Amino acid sequence: MKKTAFMAVLLGVLALAAPAQAARVEVQWWHAMSGVLGDRLNELVEKFNASQDKYTVVAVAKGNYDEVTNGVIAAYRAKRPPEMVQIAERGYMTMLLSGAIVPVQDLLDQKGYKIDWPDFIKPVASFWSYKGRMSAMPFNSSTPIFWYNKEHFRKAGFDKPADTWQELEAQLYAIKAKGVSECGTVLPGDFYWSLLENYSAINNQPYGTLANGFGGLGTEFVYNKTKVVSQVARLKKWLDDGVLQIAGQGLSPEQLFTSGRCSTFVNSTASHGNIERNAKIEWSATFLPHENDINPPLNSTIGGGAIWVMKGHTPERYDAVAAFLDFVAQPETQVWWHGVTGYVPATSKAYALARERGYYKEHPTREIAVLQLSRGTPNDNSRGFRFGNFVQTMLAQRSEVEAVFTGQKQPQQAMDDAVKRGNEILRQFEKLNAGKDAEAGREPK
Amino acid sequence: MNASSPIASAPIWPESPAVQVAQPSGLARSQHPSPGATVAEHSPVTPRPIRARTPKRGQPDREPGLKRANFGREAGLPTLLLLPQLLILVCFFFIPSLRALMQSVLLSDPFGSNVQFVWFDNFKALFASGEYRQSIVTTIWFTVTQNVITLAVAVVLAFASDRVVRGRSVYRTLILLPYAIAPAIAGILWAFLFNPVVGPLAHMLHALGISWDPNRNPNDALWLVIMAASWKHICYDYIFLAVGLLAVPASLMEAAAVDGAGPIRRFFLIALPMLGPTVFFLAVMNFIYGFFETFAIIDAVTHGGPAGATNILVYKVYVDGFINLDLGSSAAQSVLLMTFALICTLLQFRYFDHKVNYGV
Repeated sequence: MKKTAFMAVLLGVLALAAPAQAARVEVQWWHAMSGVLGDRLNELVEKFNASQDKYTVVAVAKGNYDEVTNGVIAAYRAKRPPEMVQIAERGYMTMLLSGAIVPVQDLLDQKGYKIDWPDFIKPVASFWSYKGRMSAMPFNSSTPIFWYNKEHFRKAGFDKPADTWQELEAQLYAIKAKGVSECGTVLPGDFYWSLLENYSAINNQPYGTLANGFGGLGTEFVYNKTKVVSQVARLKKWLDDGVLQIAGQGLSPEQLFTSGRCSTFVNSTASHGNIERNAKIEWSATFLPHENDINPPLNSTIGGGAIWVMKGHTPERYDAVAAFLDFVAQPETQVWWHGVTGYVPATSKAYALARERGYYKEHPTREIAVLQLSRGTPNDNSRGFRFGNFVQTMLAQRSEVEAVFTGQKQPQQAMDDAVKRGNEILRQFEKLNAGKDAEAGREPK
Repeated sequence: MNASSPIASAPIWPESPAVQVAQPSGLARSQHPSPGATVAEHSPVTPRPIRARTPKRGQPDREPGLKRANFGREAGLPTLLLLPQLLILVCFFFIPSLRALMQSVLLSDPFGSNVQFVWFDNFKALFASGEYRQSIVTTIWFTVTQNVITLAVAVVLAFASDRVVRGRSVYRTLILLPYAIAPAIAGILWAFLFNPVVGPLAHMLHALGISWDPNRNPNDALWLVIMAASWKHICYDYIFLAVGLLAVPASLMEAAAVDGAGPIRRFFLIALPMLGPTVFFLAVMNFIYGFFETFAIIDAVTHGGPAGATNILVYKVYVDGFINLDLGSSAAQSVLLMTFALICTLLQFRYFDHKVNYGV
């Protein structure tokens, strides 16, 4: 609270100090991209600014997703929010019901832009839309894929990683037994996303009631009654047998893979940039494995962020925001962003364009995420996750899974406890937002 | 504040402990070298001071006025001088505390568009929560251990630096270096050194047959953050102790030496008792440090894990407030944390303060 108040004062001062632009309408976009991704984002903004002479978008890096969220909350409370902000997928419900946002589809309709909304790839569109209308502009969408060290697999006598967890397990144990590598795979930092949530979607397991929360705020977690429990048990077994390693603080899991220490690695398709640059190994990637009794596997779900439009600005500024969002949604922009970052193209047109240009012939692994996301017909288990306070429930779950890893709890006990804690958090969100659904779709002023 | 200038200008507490220690002993040397309990017999020049025994202006003779501020009749100037400090306190302590207090009885969404008054639900939820109770135990264990280690090592280093003749300033600078390193960087450094996969020190532990893995062993993780936090704070304690040692009258030490006490005996029987006020002050400061300022180290070394093993109260306040955006619970936790800290500090004053000899 102290920090929030302080930030608010600071932001207020900074905002007052900013010089007013005379000719062009200037709008701010706070984002969480750093490193290579941050550079690409700045390029994107420069492209937009150069493409016309009425508006200027100023991209401001505000730290990681949590810091951006805190920044925008403080700014909003101080009545000085930026026009646009990039928020991670887990913050969807918080933003949607905040009463602080303008749904992008409403804004773009109102400003007369014709966006081909049905063209957005299904898991992307359904994740970011509410009652069939897009709430935020999909920007950096990713999904986890399975990276592997080709040389390790070849030495152990395998062409490529198997499609199912059961066969993959045999492969990883063989790799270790044959002394090809000490570490079959490394635990990703966001394992709850890739190895539990996406695992659930791909293997057609329910994560929560009411269509994983799409059916209303009364949703409850149920993953303690699904294959997620045996998945946690599997990870624990791999850890005990030394097939799975935890990188721990002071080291990123990615480093263990790119250095050639660990043979495989589950991580976002957005790490293409980093892996291409850092890997000194012969690597490739493929689809995430599925259970052998689940056929066909379903689509995976997205992660990443979207651009939200904040309430409380002048119509001229919303003109600028609409023009920029329209620019972001253009297939050309999407293809470029997809190519330079590894994030998936958000629309089918952009994907077709990338294909047409032969992009995937040169970069076959870049197509995996798109194919995996659009595999099969999404159902209630695979459409995505719509839980309030989703960061909080995830951290509670992560802590319980860690209790399995440390040997303090059995997988079933830990998942029961995680679900119990998670449901308490969901009830708090429900209580807070009771009867709030109507507010989410209000028009911009 | 004219006749009794040393008394009036004595610090209220605890901003300038160095003065607290140095001033009375300086005085002691020039005007009334006074006996510590053990020292009295050894001291060659011991005219027993009359002043310390005669109660002056109603002060109890046990504490010759060094801890009490006295504004006398004219309150104007002192008040004026105190005003800036009070203003800072109001802006950065009282107002935020009040707001935290208000927030702690509310359920609110982070953007503040929906606020419900929920009485003490946030507090009730905390006391019912196993994680919160675990966090309290972890915090106590963490803070006490950190305090003891920090003080013990700092005392040894200060004692040693008193005995170093050549390169004393180099030695001191080296000890002070960790204080200049940002806590987050220090944390990353420790996390890396003790990383079970690549850390050189972790490899050493493994070579010694110790199965070190802070990612999977809660105790290892807790020890790691305790060590990192202590390492970061030893220099702080060291400065005060080193200065405190300088203020120990050389005459007493020499006298003890003449009487045949070795350096270690001299240290424990003379120097350490005379450092009493400093050690007490440092114990309180270490405690506050452990309670409130170790957040960055925890964040960098363990993120409070594994399974909440290093999730101390202040880190939990941060995570619940700034990551989980659960403002009500976070505010309730900071109110409780503040209360704990207050109670503990008061207890320390109540039970240890009497045992500390401020007179010289």
